[in-house]
Amino acid sequence: MMLRSFFTVLPLVLAAACGDAGDTPKDAPAQQIDAGTPDASCFIDPHTPNEIINACTTAVKVFKDSHPQLLKPDGTLPALPP
Amino acid sequence: MRRLGFLIALAVALPHRAHAAPCDTLPNPVYLQVGDTQLNLMKRLGRALRGNTPKPITLVFITSGSCTNIPAIYTRVPITTNLQYIPSVTEDPAWTPASATLSCTPPTGGVVPDVANSALFNSACTAAAPPMTVHLTQGPAQAYVMAVPTVSSQTAITFEEAYLVFGFGAASMVSPWLDEAQLFIRTVTKSTLLAWAANISVPGDKWKGVKLDGSPMVVSGIQGGTAAAIGILGAEVYDANRATMKALAYRAKGQYAAYYPDSSSSSRDKKNVRDGHYTVWSPTIWMDTVDGTGAPVKPDARYVIDLIAGKTVTPAQSFGMIDIVAAVGLVPDCAMRVNRSFEGGPLTLYTPAESCTCKYESLVDTSSCASCTASCATGVCRNGFCEDH
Repeated sequence: MMLRSFFTVLPLVLAAACGDAGDTPKDAPAQQIDAGTPDASCFIDPHTPNEIINACTTAVKVFKDSHPQLLKPDGTLPALPP
Repeated sequence: MRRLGFLIALAVALPHRAHAAPCDTLPNPVYLQVGDTQLNLMKRLGRALRGNTPKPITLVFITSGSCTNIPAIYTRVPITTNLQYIPSVTEDPAWTPASATLSCTPPTGGVVPDVANSALFNSACTAAAPPMTVHLTQGPAQAYVMAVPTVSSQTAITFEEAYLVFGFGAASMVSPWLDEAQLFIRTVTKSTLLAWAANISVPGDKWKGVKLDGSPMVVSGIQGGTAAAIGILGAEVYDANRATMKALAYRAKGQYAAYYPDSSSSSRDKKNVRDGHYTVWSPTIWMDTVDGTGAPVKPDARYVIDLIAGKTVTPAQSFGMIDIVAAVGLVPDCAMRVNRSFEGGPLTLYTPAESCTCKYESLVDTSSCASCTASCATGVCRNGFCEDH
């Protein structure tokens, strides 16, 4: 089922566990996982929707360190303008 | 120069009107009204069906927005404009999918389409349930991308960024996408916009940007755009224009990393669509009319739909249908391993009745499956490969 959280594991270990092909942009190092995401592990036997989209894969992953200014302090999005 | 290129592209895309003939004089015409993302499918399948020895059929079609096509068959709206069709090998041996279609004139009073297509769940267009006289079939999956010019340094966009960029426009404060004149989107009846709308939680009528009627206009906008440009396209449209733009990897809500539709930016295997890492895709929906017993009113129309959906047809066709689906950038249902029940909805694991993953991968990448002619040590021999089931 779910792997243990890898909060503090080195990016290299993460890459090996998930088969990362190393397409991480230079300005967004792999260790910079967005705040708000639960952890950086992948799922080897996915079942739930969240596990499916975060399943372990050999596909290229692009990590983006994104913190839009309009995000609320709790990380939620503002309502759309009328 | 850019304008000249656009006009040339338009000239190739538009049907040749000089050859307009009455559509009902063509051999076994099946009338279709399909999404403009399905043009390449119509071209390749149309050519193959003209030469389908066991059952030759002429696909006679128009393209329009998915949300226009659905009521066309629900309420039986006749097509009164000229339609398109593909020449047979005898009529034009040199014709290729890059060539223009031919044009024909509809019967007097117009013709109700035998087949209508939506390139996304019908429920994304209308809350109305299909009438009892319309049968729905789920066809291949269609992925959608956000693409940027080659001058852009961007490689990915997140759910949150996309929500802000297209929901707030210039006020999004998401660099570099701050110029609404550089946001190339589609009108609200188009599957490309509605599929993205469902995935980024920005309703179709709330999108900021330049609303364009056709994919070629979005392509032109991106190609001539600045580093602040971004546009939405069907993946198959992007695939045909890879040399002049870049698809962005997309990170869905709750996802740890961003992914391309394919396993890398340069591959064409739709691996991430098939296994659920790339979430922006829709099933294509194919509709035909049935009688009171549920039988198709026009069997040839159902024959075409069953072919597109990857079902076994009688008589068997004389060409490879998976080859055609793969060639136009769609993913056959038999190669999918995830499914969803509404537009942008959560993904669930999916096992098709008869897998064609090995065959599909052999067409778009390389297959590691064993080849076979009749039987396999493990799995089932199908289409020349040992499929797992």
